[in-house]
Amino acid sequence: MDRVVITGAGCISALGPDLASTWAGMRDGRSAIATLEGLPLERMRVTIGGQVRGFDPSRHFHEKKLPLYDRFTQFALVAAREAVKQSGLTLSGELARHCAVIVATGIGGQTTQDDGFKRLYAENADRIPPLSVPRAMPSAATSHVTMEFGLRGPAFGVTSACASSNHALAVAFDMVRLGRVPAALAGGSEACLTFGTIKSWEALRVMSPDGCRPFCRDRHGMVLGEGAGMFLLEPLKAARARGARPLAELVGAGMSADAGDIVAPSVDGAATAIAAALADAGLAPERVGYINAHGTGTPANDPAETKAIRQVFGRHADRLAVSSTKAVHGHALGAAGAIELVAVLGALREGLIPPTAGFTEADPECDLDYVPNQARRVPIEAALSNSFAFGGLNCVLALKRVEP
Amino acid sequence: MATIEDKVIEIIARESGLERTKISAGSTLKDLEIASLDFVQIMFAIEEEFKIYLPTNDPRAETGTVASLIAEIERQIAAKSA
Repeated sequence: MDRVVITGAGCISALGPDLASTWAGMRDGRSAIATLEGLPLERMRVTIGGQVRGFDPSRHFHEKKLPLYDRFTQFALVAAREAVKQSGLTLSGELARHCAVIVATGIGGQTTQDDGFKRLYAENADRIPPLSVPRAMPSAATSHVTMEFGLRGPAFGVTSACASSNHALAVAFDMVRLGRVPAALAGGSEACLTFGTIKSWEALRVMSPDGCRPFCRDRHGMVLGEGAGMFLLEPLKAARARGARPLAELVGAGMSADAGDIVAPSVDGAATAIAAALADAGLAPERVGYINAHGTGTPANDPAETKAIRQVFGRHADRLAVSSTKAVHGHALGAAGAIELVAVLGALREGLIPPTAGFTEADPECDLDYVPNQARRVPIEAALSNSFAFGGLNCVLALKRVEP
Repeated sequence: MATIEDKVIEIIARESGLERTKISAGSTLKDLEIASLDFVQIMFAIEEEFKIYLPTNDPRAETGTVASLIAEIERQIAAKSA
């Protein structure tokens, strides 16, 4: 099997409109969670989120194309452009003919759905805008990324709630290492900060009204975010041959299903996915220096994830760093793993672990080293990125530093 | 007229599938083994019944007594009419 590297990355999140600003926000532990804009807050109990601010679609897209793009597609395209540009890869000829595109989303074009149904139900209009279907479909982002770059290989969306992005990257990783495709453009996108979606989350009573504090004693819920992360994956030998500088090597993926509860997490399901990622990577646990946690800040997730890490790593659990960057960008659902991969790439490349920001007080049930509030300088050889979704769908990615 | 207590016990019984007689003001939701999904359904039904909002970030709510839940409902009703 081929070794697979990431040679291009792109991101848009509450922390900023690109990869550099997103990484800087994570590294500095600067929270972008704030009072939501453009929503009827007087009817909402939860009024904060990690919203992408100052995003003007007309600066990114032609006015003829814009009506085709839901906000989640816009995010995916912006991130994909940045990833392709950074890779330096020319997507043409045979490469374009066979390159894969896999864009994850948890819930797809919610802005389009919400706007259309508001017209129908609230305003008693009898017509919904005609492009609602192709805008809202969860695979729309994938389709538009293929069109943007003329990529004609395998292309589809992937969905597994909060683990969607990691599953998309795991599938893309397999396609490249098996030689099924010469390259893959993969990641995830979500634009879930609509009135309807937030109200749905509110009803589930897992949202914090005042901030996301992963692993802290006073945590009481998650905060929604939005954005996208996209990555260009190619074989190491192809990257080397063209003189590209890989950002990291993708060395393993581990997946599992809890087959348990539709919302409650399972220690065993999470541990199974972590162990599978290490086994797939052929990585001894002692070589992992950093885990970017799922770390949602809910009462249920954080102790379960802590126990799962302990179960797999044993004594080494006390020697590795674990942090959740959701404290600064919120939980971007289907885009979470893709945005959080930015933290892993940064940690591996710069030897700098982004902190769990806004850390208040340790919870006895969460007893790992969560890198509270301050980034830590320490060389990292290998790192994991955890995603554990509602419905018990788990996916963990393993990455290694590539020597420049 | 049904009291708040009667209505709350009725809702808990309906949403959890427990027999009404097993539920009293002194029982805690934890003792009744109310699963977290049943808990959010119960909260929703109570909010709809009394047209109020119950706090979402009270860590004791899920394990507290039916009596303390009723007290919270009374507080929210009073706050609404104040």
